[in-house]
Amino acid sequence: MLKMTHLSKVYRTEVVETYALRDFNIDVKEGEFVAVTGPSGSGKTTFLTIAGLLETFTGGTYHLDNLDVSNLDDNARSKIRNEKIGFIFQAFNLIPDLNVFDNVEVPLRYRGMKAPERKERIMGALERVGLASRAKHYPAELSGGQQQRVAIARALAGSPRLLLADEPTGNLDTQMARGVMELLEEIHRDGATIVMVTHDPELAARAQRNVHIIDGQVVDLAEDPRFHTAYAAAAGQVRG
Amino acid sequence: MQIKPILAAMRRHKAGTILIGFQIALTLAIVCNALFIIHGRMARVSRPSGVNETNLFVISNVWAGNLSDHETAVQIQADLDALLQLGSVEDATALNSFPLHGSGWDNIIRMKPDQIHMTTDSSIYLSDDHTLNTLGVKLIAGRNFTANEVQALSIQTMASWPVIIVSKDLATLLFPKGDALGKQIYATNNNTPSTIIGISDTLQSHMMDSDDNAFAYNAVLVPMREVGSGYIHYLIRARPGQLAAAMREAPKALIAQNRMRIFYANDGEVTFAKVRAKAYERDYGMAVLLVIVSAVLLAITAAGIVGLTSFWVGQRRRQIGVRRALGATQGDILSYFMTENLLIAVGGIVVGTLLAIGINLWMVTHYGVAYLSGSYLLVAAIALLLLGQGAVFAPALRASRVSPIEATRTA
Repeated sequence: MLKMTHLSKVYRTEVVETYALRDFNIDVKEGEFVAVTGPSGSGKTTFLTIAGLLETFTGGTYHLDNLDVSNLDDNARSKIRNEKIGFIFQAFNLIPDLNVFDNVEVPLRYRGMKAPERKERIMGALERVGLASRAKHYPAELSGGQQQRVAIARALAGSPRLLLADEPTGNLDTQMARGVMELLEEIHRDGATIVMVTHDPELAARAQRNVHIIDGQVVDLAEDPRFHTAYAAAAGQVRG
Repeated sequence: MQIKPILAAMRRHKAGTILIGFQIALTLAIVCNALFIIHGRMARVSRPSGVNETNLFVISNVWAGNLSDHETAVQIQADLDALLQLGSVEDATALNSFPLHGSGWDNIIRMKPDQIHMTTDSSIYLSDDHTLNTLGVKLIAGRNFTANEVQALSIQTMASWPVIIVSKDLATLLFPKGDALGKQIYATNNNTPSTIIGISDTLQSHMMDSDDNAFAYNAVLVPMREVGSGYIHYLIRARPGQLAAAMREAPKALIAQNRMRIFYANDGEVTFAKVRAKAYERDYGMAVLLVIVSAVLLAITAAGIVGLTSFWVGQRRRQIGVRRALGATQGDILSYFMTENLLIAVGGIVVGTLLAIGINLWMVTHYGVAYLSGSYLLVAAIALLLLGQGAVFAPALRASRVSPIEATRTA
């Protein structure tokens, strides 16, 4: 579903070259729920933006749904984002000027879908996240957890092949976070492929598989001493 | 298209939307009325005087000595003879006034001596047998005056005028059947009739304010030397290519005849082209002023659109990034802002059209201007639509270049 091989991302200025990702390899199978973890600045978010075609990369190859997306133009990338990828952002990123219904409708309109089908999909997605009754509400009238559910509905409405979640519970309190996580698990059980970036080990532990990034590279958790230290500390926090 | 969500978003930005919409409305209302007035003024300016204005000039002469009426008449004839002696001069005439002069003498015209209400009003040009040729106005029916018919009389004496020539517009107005020649009308106040012996081609009245009314082309030529008022206008036709020479020589010839005279300070010796320019300077001034006001208004509206859209683009960077992340192409973003402006402009144009009609109706009632033609509204509406789309293009293009990665930046 998502396969990156020897991928690199370099930020160049006049004086320095910074590798955000270096010889990065990952292979996410269809139907997997993968948590990508790692310390701040490790390259988690860069990985996610490249995976979501929000950003280009410098070297290597990236196949999404068996399609080489290395050299696509902006319009083609927009189309793939629209049709194959569902985004869930840490800050929800709902459009404040639009009500819940119109927010969920945004990607469907860009797909050129007809109104009756749009409506059916929007209401279906809102029912799935339990917010059908709030369709006419504006984001500011909802709690953080509800806003993230709307964002998930927006991501689901287009039936994407891949859901990318960037710290989906980062802005939520524990109870709301649990609700959102349960929703993601449910979506996964229904067959969706989910890649979730998080720095929360508890959340990561609920995914099928964990991929750890350090200094822009995927590391083998079992063998990397840096992980053991970090994991022990995090586990300690969780128990306490 | 995405009109519904754009309208929904606009409802959340009422203040800015209404402000720009109202600015467009006001600009449309003012600009199309201004265009209408400008067009009216330009139409007025381009109306023909009937005079062949090239190679024609005017010397406005005031008598300085205490001349008797008889002495004045003799002096005028001597002046005209002297002018006609000049090699550069083709013809010359003495007049109390002339088209585009602004001041002069007009009188009511009646068809019967006991008529209480006037039939019309007309310029009275006190002229002579050289007038039509000097002005370059054709006689289209009847005959010209003879030298013997030209009387030297002060207007105060209110003499009878046995023979007159009328302009064709006046002839048609008085005798719609086209049988004016030989007919009698009453052009003086002393109830003696004047016989129409000739009909001239188009000849404009001296009255500038009458340009828009029924008197604009009413002129009566009377064979009479104006000797009682202390001034006379010599209209002089130079031979082709000798206007400058004639304008140099003519004043000298007059001074050589008699030093006891003064030429008007600013317009004592002027070409007819200058007479025309001066006659319409206020119209030109008004037109230029309105063009400037319209241009400034359009510029302010354009600047307002650029400013507000730039502000909105800045404010919505993240939102634009989110839209891009959700699959909007650069073209979708560009068209979002262009459509948003189009909707505001259409709203503004609808309100502005009503406002323009309102302003026009008010001016019709209070200032007697004509009804605004729909074509001005159409031209102004199209201009504002294009202005809006032009103004919004640069900020909209900037918006379309916002990277989808903006969506992942933490607020």
